[in-house]
Amino acid sequence: MEPNELERFEAIVLPHMDAAYTLARYLTRNDHDAQDVVQEAYLRALKYFDGFRGAAGGESRSWLLAIVRNTAYTWRHQHRADTLATQFDEELHSETVAHVHPETVLLGETARASLRHAIDGLPREFREVIVLRELEGLSYKEISDVAGVPVGTVMSRLARARKRLQEALRPERQER
Amino acid sequence: MTHPVLEAQLDAYLDGELTADDARELEAHLVQCPDCARFRDGRIALRAAITAHVPALQAPDALRERVRASLRVAGGARSRRRIAAPVLWRSLALAASLAVVAVGSWRLALQRAAGGALTDQVLASHVRSLMPGHLTDVVSADQHTVKPWFNGKLDFSPPVYDFAGRGFPLIGGRLDYVSGRAVAALIYGRRQHLINVFLWPAAQGPAGGPPAVTRQGYHLLHWTTPEYAYWVVSDLGIAELRDFAALLARGDSAAATPARSAPAPP
Repeated sequence: MEPNELERFEAIVLPHMDAAYTLARYLTRNDHDAQDVVQEAYLRALKYFDGFRGAAGGESRSWLLAIVRNTAYTWRHQHRADTLATQFDEELHSETVAHVHPETVLLGETARASLRHAIDGLPREFREVIVLRELEGLSYKEISDVAGVPVGTVMSRLARARKRLQEALRPERQER
Repeated sequence: MTHPVLEAQLDAYLDGELTADDARELEAHLVQCPDCARFRDGRIALRAAITAHVPALQAPDALRERVRASLRVAGGARSRRRIAAPVLWRSLALAASLAVVAVGSWRLALQRAAGGALTDQVLASHVRSLMPGHLTDVVSADQHTVKPWFNGKLDFSPPVYDFAGRGFPLIGGRLDYVSGRAVAALIYGRRQHLINVFLWPAAQGPAGGPPAVTRQGYHLLHWTTPEYAYWVVSDLGIAELRDFAALLARGDSAAATPARSAPAPP
């Protein structure tokens, strides 16, 4: 690595740390693991940086987020048995997992709490497309690159995830 | 078109992924189809709720610092390796024709690379020691407890002083490794700051390194006495760290006098 290559890496990749942390936080569902994942992902990114020649901001963001995503999954594999790490089934209906965050309890906002719980309760394949689309604002193509699935799969996962979140928002209304 | 297909189109439409032609067609349909309009309204409400209640997060400052620090350590180690190798090859090529000059520059290059790598290693050891549970193997403000603790763990007996009277209390000691060699690490405090002192016999350990360098907000001071190679690392202000280093250097030179066992008061 050239002496100023590290500076180039930092200039291109460090600005995406909020996005990296947001994705890691929703994939690991806890702050401590998310921080470890982000740090590990940055070290991996540095290692692979020679092979990355994208210049545009969006490209480097997708590139980093793909590494964050993969790091989060191997991290989970190595460091904890996750309750939702069972075989993923596109049609499977999983219950909302009660990960109650202190701040949501304090705020007592039911909409906020139930929506966050609903996102945390989504299977990770749904959770990642929702976070990448709604929180990070990635295009279908970018999500497809990050998640390593075809655009059609991105669309069907987004649709199912959204349907489930809408149900969580309006628990009194039954599915039509 | 059937409604499931239209729903997929509606998602793409709301996500801005539909072509202009398809979008116009869909908009025309929405005007006359209450089901699709209701579907669209539900999605819009969901998006509004997510925007309002599930904000994108900000990376904590501590994480930023951590990442930056680990990148510098990793990036620094990489660049040293990469620089050292070509210099070696170039030097070998030159050696065929200009043996003396080439060997000279080759030695110099290797020494320089070793010094830089040593700085990286010492800094990495310091950063690692700050992680929970890694700072001390023996916790004591008493030099007569810390010094004997190293017996049998090292092939030398490091001089240990307590500078509590000068505002640098001894916190404890630790066995550490630098360049594959077991070294003594002594920990001192200054208000909320921690100072790591790494030392090993000057003749038997890794050598080189700049006398003073600042990396990622940490200051590293390095000097060699006839007996020991010293590295002092801290996030303490450089002026105070130099004061500390001066105390340490004075203590050591006092200890080098015949009255070796008596710890020197500063």
